[in-house]
Amino acid sequence: MFQIDFGDNGEIMCCGRLDAAQCEKAQAFMDAVADSQTLNFAALDYISSAGLGVLLKTQKRLVGSGGGLKIINVNNHIHDVFHYSGFHAIFDIEKPGG
Amino acid sequence: MGMRWPVGVSRLKTGPAGRFLERSLSMQKKLNRSYDSLEEMYEITERFFLNEDVEPSIRFPVHFVMEELFTNMVKYHPENSNDILLDVNKTEDAVKVSMTDFDVDAFDVTVDRNINTDAPLEERTPGGLGVHLIHKMVDSLEYDYANRCSTVTFTKGLNA
Repeated sequence: MFQIDFGDNGEIMCCGRLDAAQCEKAQAFMDAVADSQTLNFAALDYISSAGLGVLLKTQKRLVGSGGGLKIINVNNHIHDVFHYSGFHAIFDIEKPGG
Repeated sequence: MGMRWPVGVSRLKTGPAGRFLERSLSMQKKLNRSYDSLEEMYEITERFFLNEDVEPSIRFPVHFVMEELFTNMVKYHPENSNDILLDVNKTEDAVKVSMTDFDVDAFDVTVDRNINTDAPLEERTPGGLGVHLIHKMVDSLEYDYANRCSTVTFTKGLNA
């Protein structure tokens, strides 16, 4: 199960498991956002390489228009995936507590 | 319809004098060739790992690699209607997973795709990270191709 929606504070809240079966849903949501956005991963348990593709495609589009993604509350496992992928150099990423 | 959980099979391997060398538990499951099977694969293997007290630090990379392998098999052979066979074993010191795809062309995941993870954003393209990440997360990775059957086997040590 994967859910994505805007929270009350304007952050994009992701919940559950972002695997290959859920990427179409995630991409459709992200294609509709603009400018600079914060993704809150506090309730995201898992991300696959297909999910990384959604983030990368969105980041390229937003940076190209002067915006970008900030990803916060990343758990240790997903943090490792980001590290192995070199995402720290192309995203603003924060673990819980900064 | 309720979920049917696979039954773990306990195996005791014995040495020359009949001494027990190690205890091994396993489960097998045929999975429909569809991304929709990812949730089922996660649920049945997570149940297996929880029953066997496998730590989250091991479960996450094992799930990750299983899902990357399964997704590749579905993605690169969409015309194939055969199920994909999953075999999961837990020994005293490792989790060992094999995944077999039947009647397919070879796709050797042990070959490094030379992904540049230091490339700047403008040079990045979505895709291609899966095999790179598999290599980062496993302790061993083997590929066998015979009679048009692809089998990938990986291990993850329990003390990693």
